[in-house]
Amino acid sequence: MKCSDVERVVPEYVDGALKGAFQIDFETHLKSCPACAELVSELKLIASEARQLAATEEPPPRVWLRIAAQLRGEGLILESESAPSQPILVPTSPRRRWSAWWLAPVAAALVVASSYVVTHRPVPQVAKRQAPASRMTSPAAAASPTPETAAAPSPVVPAPAPQQLAKKIAEPTRIGGSAVPPVVEPAPSEEDQQFLSVVSTLAPSMRASYENELQAVNADIRETEAYVNRNPGDADARQHLMDAYQQKALLYQIALDRIQ
Amino acid sequence: MASLYKASLQQASVRQITVVTLVVVTCLAAVALAETRKEYRFTVGPKAIISVDTQYGAIAVKPGSDNQVVVTATIMSDKVEVDQQQSGNRLEIASHVLQGANERAGQVDYELLVPPGATLNLHSSTGPLSVERLQGDLTLEGTDAVVNVRSVENCHVHVRTMSGPITLTDVTNGHVEIASISGDVQMKSVTGSLVQVVSGRGKIFYDGNFGLGGEYRFTTHTGDIEALVPADVSADFRAHSVLGRVQHDFPLQPRHSRFPVEAGRSFLGTSGKASSEVVLRTFSGRIRLKQR
Repeated sequence: MKCSDVERVVPEYVDGALKGAFQIDFETHLKSCPACAELVSELKLIASEARQLAATEEPPPRVWLRIAAQLRGEGLILESESAPSQPILVPTSPRRRWSAWWLAPVAAALVVASSYVVTHRPVPQVAKRQAPASRMTSPAAAASPTPETAAAPSPVVPAPAPQQLAKKIAEPTRIGGSAVPPVVEPAPSEEDQQFLSVVSTLAPSMRASYENELQAVNADIRETEAYVNRNPGDADARQHLMDAYQQKALLYQIALDRIQ
Repeated sequence: MASLYKASLQQASVRQITVVTLVVVTCLAAVALAETRKEYRFTVGPKAIISVDTQYGAIAVKPGSDNQVVVTATIMSDKVEVDQQQSGNRLEIASHVLQGANERAGQVDYELLVPPGATLNLHSSTGPLSVERLQGDLTLEGTDAVVNVRSVENCHVHVRTMSGPITLTDVTNGHVEIASISGDVQMKSVTGSLVQVVSGRGKIFYDGNFGLGGEYRFTTHTGDIEALVPADVSADFRAHSVLGRVQHDFPLQPRHSRFPVEAGRSFLGTSGKASSEVVLRTFSGRIRLKQR
């Protein structure tokens, strides 16, 4: 079974409607294709979350009104002249049997609600990228690799994409058309510290690479958050903010896949 | 006296050259002796599923016969082992680095000949990873690895790197998804129903005609996006940079859209019959659409 076949029948699989040889082929493909496995895992999560929403908590009407206002602002809801505007509705009856086609609006509502929360979260400061000079290794140091042990105190892998990273760090960032001077990097978050600690323990020679990339990604997130806070109506900027978070998630995934 | 001095100088330099040569030859011999090459052969069907996972080292895959996989592993030292496991049509090859091995000692380079329709999953932190002339689904993942995919058709191509640059050449009728944190992505003659490329800080460069009927989505955060297209390209273009500049240097037919078009920051228009959809987005990079 190929990826294109998997995509066609994944709704049936998530619903438990795929049986027999099809199911075996499907599951065999998932074992060898991380991309399809991830897709199925995410759809299963959305499906299980949706079941809980329908069965337990009914969000208050103001939540749906707020989502509708958000979507209206983005031009995704077109008002009809004859009918008054209605909030977006999802099935509320707990006795209604859950079925797969409600996944799409519920998933869209979850994404919009999370992006609403993200865009209205206060940003403590506008922090810019600064060259992590103390952590980048010189080519000379990288030329003589040391044995990889858990106790290795300093990483020896040269930082990736040095020209790009240095160029972007050296340039003052433009916000709203005017240059903003760089500020000191804030301390890494608890999750980032945990992540780097795991990398240091399991693959100390790679810590410098991951740390440099993590700092750059965090700087991108802060920059975009600051812009979105000043321009909350810019839908494309909000999408870029979500993309930046996804980049961070990708970095975590790549690191943890490699060092296990 | 002068001639004696010259003769003694010549002797000294000959001795030095001899010593240096001996040292170099000894080192090379030591390296050559430490490396071992092993070949493994597996009988499989034409739709085999093959996984190769190595922490350090290159993986190069080419098409071979329909019912056999040939794996040649160049093992750099005795501090790394090659594990292989086959279950029917599924084959898993992995490097197992022993404690105390550094990157050089833990390196294993793989060369594979596989059935052209085989599904491949390749993982290497350092790479490079290269695949050519295949038709099965491909998943390639590296950290700093250089990734090269050439002349593949009718398949899904998934590539993920942290900073490794990615090059796709002659990928036709594909479903392509590429994600990189800071690696540059270069595409030449890449077409398919979906070509989706995301690089946070890397550049995206596309040279081709965007096919006839497909979705092309290129997104960066700070990296530049550049597309080089022929005059007869048939596509519906939408480009937007939140903070950077965008430009196109050939005429596009304007079209109505609910998305605001801010001169210098976005453009929107069609060329030809607008068979394909092309969406170029960046937060602060530059976007350029150029005619070949």
